[in-house]
Amino acid sequence: MSTIEVDPITLQVIGGALHTIAKEMGHVLYRMSYSSIIRESEDLGAGLFDANCNTLCESDSTPMHIGSIPAYLRGIEETLHDPWQPGDVVIHNHPYYGASHSPDIAAVAPVFYEGELVGFSANTAHHVDIGAATPGLIIDAPDVFAEGMLFKGVKLYEGGVRNRALWHFISANTRVPDQVLGDIEAQVASVELGVKRFIELLDLYGKDVVFAATEQLMDYSEAMLRKQIALIPDGEYRAEGFLDDDGRNRGITLPVKVCVRIAGDSAEVDLTGSSPQVPTAFNVPFEGSTKVACYFAFRAMLLDSAVISEHVPQNEGSFRPIKVTAPLGSIFNPKYPAAAEARFNQIQRVVDCIIKALAPVIPDKVTAGCSADVSAIAYSGVRPEGNYWVFIEVNEGAYGGRPESDGPDGIEELMRNTRNNPIEDLGMHLPLICDRYELRDDVMPGAGEYRGGIGAIKVQRYLTDGFLTHESDRHEDVPWGFRGGTAGAGARLQKFNIASPDKVENLPAKIHGLRNETGDCIGVLAACGGGYGDPLARSPEQVREDVLDDYCTVAHAKESYGVVLDSELEIDGAATAARRDEMRAAAE
Amino acid sequence: MAKIGVDVGGTFTDLILESEKISGSSGGVLVHKVPSTPEDQSIGVIQGIVEICDMAGVALGDIEQIVHGTTIATNAVIEYDGAEVGMLTTRGFRDILLLARGKRPHNFSMQFDVPWQSKPLVKRRNRIPISERILPPDGRVEVALDEGEVREAAELLGKRNVDAVIICFIYSFLNNAHEQRAKQIVKEILPDTYVSCSSEVADVIREYERFSTAAMNAFVGPRTSFYLGNLQKALRDKGVGAEIRVMQSNGGVTTIEGGSERPVTILMSGPAGGVTGGKWAGDLSGVENLITVDIGGTSADISVVPRGEVRIMNPRDTNIGGYPILAPMIDLATIGAGGGSIAYVDEGGAFRVGPRSAGANPGPACYGKGGTEPTVTDAQVVLGRLDAEQFLGGGVAIDPALSAKAIEDNLCGKLNMGVEQAALGIIRVINSNMALEIRANSVAKGIDPRDYSLVAFGGAGPLHGVALAETVAAREALVPPAPGINAATGLLATDMQYEFTRSALISISEADQSELDALNGQLDELVAQAGEALAADGVAPEERKFTRIAECRYQGQGFELRAEFPEGVVGGDNKQVLIDNFHESHRRDYGHAFDDQNIEIITLRVIAAAAADKLIWPKLPAGQGDNPADAVMYARPTTFDSGETLETPRYDRAKLLAGQTVTGPAIVIQHDSTTLIPPGHVAEVSEYGNLRVRATA
Repeated sequence: MSTIEVDPITLQVIGGALHTIAKEMGHVLYRMSYSSIIRESEDLGAGLFDANCNTLCESDSTPMHIGSIPAYLRGIEETLHDPWQPGDVVIHNHPYYGASHSPDIAAVAPVFYEGELVGFSANTAHHVDIGAATPGLIIDAPDVFAEGMLFKGVKLYEGGVRNRALWHFISANTRVPDQVLGDIEAQVASVELGVKRFIELLDLYGKDVVFAATEQLMDYSEAMLRKQIALIPDGEYRAEGFLDDDGRNRGITLPVKVCVRIAGDSAEVDLTGSSPQVPTAFNVPFEGSTKVACYFAFRAMLLDSAVISEHVPQNEGSFRPIKVTAPLGSIFNPKYPAAAEARFNQIQRVVDCIIKALAPVIPDKVTAGCSADVSAIAYSGVRPEGNYWVFIEVNEGAYGGRPESDGPDGIEELMRNTRNNPIEDLGMHLPLICDRYELRDDVMPGAGEYRGGIGAIKVQRYLTDGFLTHESDRHEDVPWGFRGGTAGAGARLQKFNIASPDKVENLPAKIHGLRNETGDCIGVLAACGGGYGDPLARSPEQVREDVLDDYCTVAHAKESYGVVLDSELEIDGAATAARRDEMRAAAE
Repeated sequence: MAKIGVDVGGTFTDLILESEKISGSSGGVLVHKVPSTPEDQSIGVIQGIVEICDMAGVALGDIEQIVHGTTIATNAVIEYDGAEVGMLTTRGFRDILLLARGKRPHNFSMQFDVPWQSKPLVKRRNRIPISERILPPDGRVEVALDEGEVREAAELLGKRNVDAVIICFIYSFLNNAHEQRAKQIVKEILPDTYVSCSSEVADVIREYERFSTAAMNAFVGPRTSFYLGNLQKALRDKGVGAEIRVMQSNGGVTTIEGGSERPVTILMSGPAGGVTGGKWAGDLSGVENLITVDIGGTSADISVVPRGEVRIMNPRDTNIGGYPILAPMIDLATIGAGGGSIAYVDEGGAFRVGPRSAGANPGPACYGKGGTEPTVTDAQVVLGRLDAEQFLGGGVAIDPALSAKAIEDNLCGKLNMGVEQAALGIIRVINSNMALEIRANSVAKGIDPRDYSLVAFGGAGPLHGVALAETVAAREALVPPAPGINAATGLLATDMQYEFTRSALISISEADQSELDALNGQLDELVAQAGEALAADGVAPEERKFTRIAECRYQGQGFELRAEFPEGVVGGDNKQVLIDNFHESHRRDYGHAFDDQNIEIITLRVIAAAAADKLIWPKLPAGQGDNPADAVMYARPTTFDSGETLETPRYDRAKLLAGQTVTGPAIVIQHDSTTLIPPGHVAEVSEYGNLRVRATA
């Protein structure tokens, strides 16, 4: 512990420098990478850490990765085969040693200064295929070893010397070696840059000042969050929901139970009562994923970057006020060797339930129910030339209505914030073609003074035979409405062949290694958000605008908003007043 | 004959006039400022032109050329006040503009705005799906264009009185036949409406970015062309027969017609003038490697110009107001740091400077217009670096006591510091923010600032220039002769420039002869197209210069970098030159290259330029000696970044002569700008009046 007190001005200067370094590390990683999930989707995180694995700075890329790296570092500390030395780069992805899940491989380089280990430069990135039993993604797996290659503190570079055998091994154990090796190269370049910048920073300001400053910056982030938590009345706030199934045992839903305890300026998220761990990969690594989700929820609601103009540095400080509890052996804290690759839908629901639990006491900081899921889909096949193609697509969700605005439509929500892939770029490079990509028109979102966001439909057509694995949820438990707003609409997964587009088969949200034939089309329909506030508080004029834009049907306008439009789509004032009176009366 | 550059800013419209005959002298340049007229920019522009001609004794009819930097198109975006646009798009893809890239603008937020959804460039009701389908990878037709649907859509949009119609079909970069045919039909039905195809505005792969560019072009088009047309007419009515040119985002100029047809190319007109002005100043002193820093009231624009070449931003990064725009723009970064940036202590106790700004109204506390929060300008006043009676040539009254009070009231208690110490802190934080941005745009991109001169301009630039140059380890700070109107000087220092692109996916490493033949054919077509644009501007063939660029990536990557083609037909030996150029480009930007990887071309780009005569700045008479006594105005105590307060002489810049030096501590004052020369530094007055400030010893 340092005893230096860094003045507020130097603190701001060092804080700015750290922020810039993390940004630069993230930039190099995604611009240099090969797989679309990193380069287009930016499914990555990067930053600097002190020798105690505390985050000093992290790139503002994808929330899931932000805050997950410290657990990786602690896992590496436990498992590293030989002591750190300058020039090392270690890779690690073991979910029982801190990894977020196995496809998110971390690259970590130690930072030595004047002969002493002072910290780490690290990043994580989602790899498109690590040689699991099924291409790209896996759900119905017996244990963690079925997920593919596991790296437990393995040196990819030792003292600056490349471990060629390891590279060779990796190349032989993934279906898409060019992409995976290229992406790891990008990760190495990014951590090397971080080491260089970290040392420059130490040279410039001195080690003691830099580390004293980083401690103060952590205290600052902690103080900012505690101030906000303190404004919430003390108490226990509960919410629950359920997940469709575990991907194998159809029809058996899995409860998610959240209790948020607020005491002064601290919070606890207790997940006791949620489902026991499941026999598939639909479990959540505790350190690298469950905890990260809870940290995210508080930061997003209480330090909302669209509301608070100051940049609150991303570091360990914002985690300190929050304690996370999940019993060992539960879906949110599985026991070794349970598989835990498919964890994203569950943690989205944790965030969703935290929001729902606190909504009554902080209604101006929340949204109604978001889609709060993920549609992660692995398309794959073998090209006529004989080589494998694997493509992981993440389909966006939608937000619930908000205190002063509609829920955004077709957008990445909560823990995820990746970019979609340009349809045209994919069509030029993969035997897969997108036939439809627009907002759903088969359902309406939750009605409210502010409506829920509308999810998109995306249809992809196979141009070769191939496989499909889809990791999703939310077909059964529909996004909730709030303060009189109505519930949204569930997600759907459909399959049909281009030759018979009317013969549509509805599939469950979790599909594992499904074989597809040329011409088969997969339609992913995202959940729509719940409404916020009384639909009758939405002005008839606004409802009419929605109808003109096809965000709302004429029937839905009348049914849910009590707005009656004539054949010219003009408001029928008298009929609207009558219908609204009738609805108010019925509600009483 | 005279040339005028006129640059419209938020507060002032800056003008510069160059003529071989200016009343009272044999010729040279004259600068002027008039208040901007935001309600209609052309009022201020015309008033300024009339006034500066009057001052110079130049008849309006004798103006040969006017070059204009305008914010008209940008303002349409910022104010969300553009045209009502209709869109015909492939059935099944109605919401490409709404879904965008799916990524929300904030990671940690619930109440964020999504500009492309809340402020769509084309309302959903006006996005009409049309049955048609082109397929990759060869552009074959799977579903023929339904011409009946096109007609119906055009009629519907006609009934809705849209101002413009865009036609945006998926994969049109492979085959534009459907877009072109649909355009023809829409034109028949709506002959007076502006109709354009996505493949005309930006003929490149990636549906969202292409559609967004077409939509933006149509959104700002009518207002921009109305403004430019109106300005031209008003000038003609006053008897100004001059040719009128408009600054483009890429640093080249276009005609009134060019700017009206493709207004997406002038969205960054204003800042581009600053960078070309900075480059021009570098040229005056024969300096090629430059970092330009343009510091105004609310923001600072930073650009790096290596070897005298203005860099163009990667098309993946070019966006305006959150909408991606595939139009070439000078690579510059803007941060919220300027004279008006507010300093405060936030809820968690952190000391902040900017990005919130006091703007022009109320402005810094010292303006006495009701501002009570301390700004960067207030800090400079407190430190004795801005003299009250010299502010804007004495044109603005300021009260230093208000600056001190604002710092005292808002900062001193919370920071436990005295006024002077807090003021120094404000300067240190704002300089650090700017220096980080400079590093992110230089060091992070493989550029070593030690080989660079930092050109500091804009009203506030020369106060920060030396400190910034030192922080980023630049070779020197260079202050242009008229830093306050540098963007206007840039307008008279630019070339004619047009760019044309075409999507062309080719693996250059593996291309066979027939693919290379096709590539050469496409390049020739682009060169011909670009040549026609210059011909239309009256540029003779021998003056036309073409640069042929391939935007490439390693096969499998998602982001392209530019590589220049060698001269002549592409094939055989010189193919390798292109490949080497790409590796070099990758190495420069990322620090690595993969020499054994295949390279694919994604887009071909041809830039056609014609050199224009550059502004000639009059040479200063030669003088000699250090700290010339006859240029000294008076001396006052001034506090420097080191914390020392020294009795510091003020020099009148107008009296400094070529070859003279001013050794710090010193302040050089001119009408709209003040240059700070700290102790341990010496400023050398160059032949053309640049101040080049370096550390002594």
